[in-house]
Amino acid sequence: MNKLILFRMLQEEVRLNTSFASGKGFFSFPILVLISGLLAVLFSNVMIEDMGYKEYLQILHISAIFYGLFAGSLAFFGNEFLERIFGYFGLILGLSATQPITQRKITLLYFCKEIIFYTLFTMVPALLGAIIGSYYADINIFNLVIFSFTLYISFCTGISFSYYISSFYRISTTYSVIGAFLFLVLYSFLFYDYEITGSLDWYIHGNTRLLLLGLIVPLILSLIATINIKEHASNGSINVIGYKNRFEEYSQRYSWAKKVSLPGIIAKERIDLERSKTGTKMFFSFLFPLGFLTFMNWFLDKGLPIQIDFNTIFYGVMIGFFGTMLYSWLNSIDTPHFYSTLPIQVSDIIRARLFLFGTITWWIPLIFMALISYMSNELNLLPIGLIVMVTVGIYIVNYTAMSTGLKTNSALFDAFVFIKFFLISVPPMIAMTILSLAINHKPSTILVALSIICGILSLLSLAFYKRINTKWNNESFD
Amino acid sequence: MKILSLEPSKKCLDNMSVIQCSNLSKKYDEVEALKKIDLEVNEGEFFGLLGPNGAGKTTLLKILTCQLKPSEGKAEVFGLETSKEFVSIKPKISIVPEQESPPSFLTPREVLELVTNIRKISTNNIDYWLEFFELEEMEGRVCRNLSRGQKQKVMLASAFISETKLMFLDEPFINLDPLVQTKVREWLKQYVAEGGTVFINTHLLENAERLCNRAAIIHQGKIQSLITLEDLRKQNLTLEELFHEIVK
Repeated sequence: MNKLILFRMLQEEVRLNTSFASGKGFFSFPILVLISGLLAVLFSNVMIEDMGYKEYLQILHISAIFYGLFAGSLAFFGNEFLERIFGYFGLILGLSATQPITQRKITLLYFCKEIIFYTLFTMVPALLGAIIGSYYADINIFNLVIFSFTLYISFCTGISFSYYISSFYRISTTYSVIGAFLFLVLYSFLFYDYEITGSLDWYIHGNTRLLLLGLIVPLILSLIATINIKEHASNGSINVIGYKNRFEEYSQRYSWAKKVSLPGIIAKERIDLERSKTGTKMFFSFLFPLGFLTFMNWFLDKGLPIQIDFNTIFYGVMIGFFGTMLYSWLNSIDTPHFYSTLPIQVSDIIRARLFLFGTITWWIPLIFMALISYMSNELNLLPIGLIVMVTVGIYIVNYTAMSTGLKTNSALFDAFVFIKFFLISVPPMIAMTILSLAINHKPSTILVALSIICGILSLLSLAFYKRINTKWNNESFD
Repeated sequence: MKILSLEPSKKCLDNMSVIQCSNLSKKYDEVEALKKIDLEVNEGEFFGLLGPNGAGKTTLLKILTCQLKPSEGKAEVFGLETSKEFVSIKPKISIVPEQESPPSFLTPREVLELVTNIRKISTNNIDYWLEFFELEEMEGRVCRNLSRGQKQKVMLASAFISETKLMFLDEPFINLDPLVQTKVREWLKQYVAEGGTVFINTHLLENAERLCNRAAIIHQGKIQSLITLEDLRKQNLTLEELFHEIVK
């Protein structure tokens, strides 16, 4: 029975993804991953020369852990998201409510399905790409496969950690924070004198005991998570009673914004944001990527012979880019189905959400920017950093809104949409990153160059904003 | 299969047509959900679209309410093509969709305020509709925490408060208790008597029999029968008998 459920869950996952994106778009994704694997191996020599052998391997392991974390968060925090977006979205995961199977068992099967899906969909294509690349890069295939195995263990550690956190999150947010903290302290204690993961230590130093420890970590995490799953999860995040009527107040407050969207829609979206407590989730969703960036900053400082400092302007570029996450969160608060009963269009909702992005959620990136510049002793760069952040944020969010509408997360599963998004977002980010890193060499020239790029991005933002109407006016809310 | 095709009543012929479908088809990949539908609904009619599950009822309603585009043919509401003129059509119609999905984080009162705000109509009737559906007891609760029946009441209240001349209802009685069903039926009768038009999708034949002037039975994407209820009664037939005969 377990095998059958697992197989059906995999089928369901593929069907779910092909319903989000076009079939071609979805099945092209592994090819994209294969190419990435190929390029990673082809450029590995250059990277090793620059960074050093050990440091390069460490970065790959850290990336694998973060990738696992990302995949796991989509899987284990995605149910709430799916429920909200699609309303009554029946998944096999919900079988325990009607069939004689425990929630614990079905969640464990779901976790296994996630590992198998990501292994087949991304890890195997990446390995194939790397094997093809090894032919040209003169890398020993046996070593490559062994190293890929160690990377896979790190990926499993990341995804298990997500599973572990989600099992605590089902109890309460406080439990999940305490659970995460305890694990991180224990992990740091265990691996303090070793490489960042047990499998990497084994690969570099041949320490078999560490390989076993590396293998045990994801198993222990999954075991604790599975034990944690109770039959009746209570979701106490939404109050049952006691909401004051806010609609009139907010619709009057936003009456000045009627040229952007209907004040009534802005008021509704604002109330959604407030009552769903999505602001807190948005705030915490910034912590992961920024933590990763800060770690990389520290790591590169430590590993590279040339000193590279990610300064406040660089963080401005990155935090601006993360604006996509804020817009995506705004799209995952509630199902838009009710709007189909009203005389409004999809573009009205998109513009209302863009308005909220610009007026209500701005404090989240601002807090991070202020903290980063203060901690780096770069308050003098904060004004430029903020201008860069705002420009990049508006640019990327307008493009995301124009290209993905109200279904940002699912639309980006389409390889074609993703490639376009990549081509639109990465070149200006690279240009601005290079400029930001060179700010201390020729400040005036760099500032002029940054201003020109900001100007171009602003014009493009306007063009994307104007295209929202033409692209989305005829679309339905389904 | 016996196909009944009776002439529409004289009252209907005298009135202006508010819904018109000609040669309307809809395909989802290889599945043909609607096959060459020809249909006309007149002003002041209570029209029922009846059919078994998966017959194409919701697809047709979605096309008529500008939520789906037909693959072939044309659908018009108030003489305007639904696939092109939805900006003009939508303010003139109200919809109760099949799935009760009021905004999760608004209270019932706020939902009605949203509807009146967007439709630019008076808020004076909000209290009336909250009371009508016994939703005033739900003050301070967001729709996410309501039962399915209560959510359905919010959806009905949102449509009824809209003051439009044409109403599309997709299985509106599902999840409603018998008392509320009676109240809704009475209100809808009154609405039609005062000149409103109702297009209702249902497989609850008892409700259709009590309410509709005219009905179509759709099966496997095709309209199999178009009938006036009055003529059906004259022939000593019930809707259920006819339905079984067509769908079996």
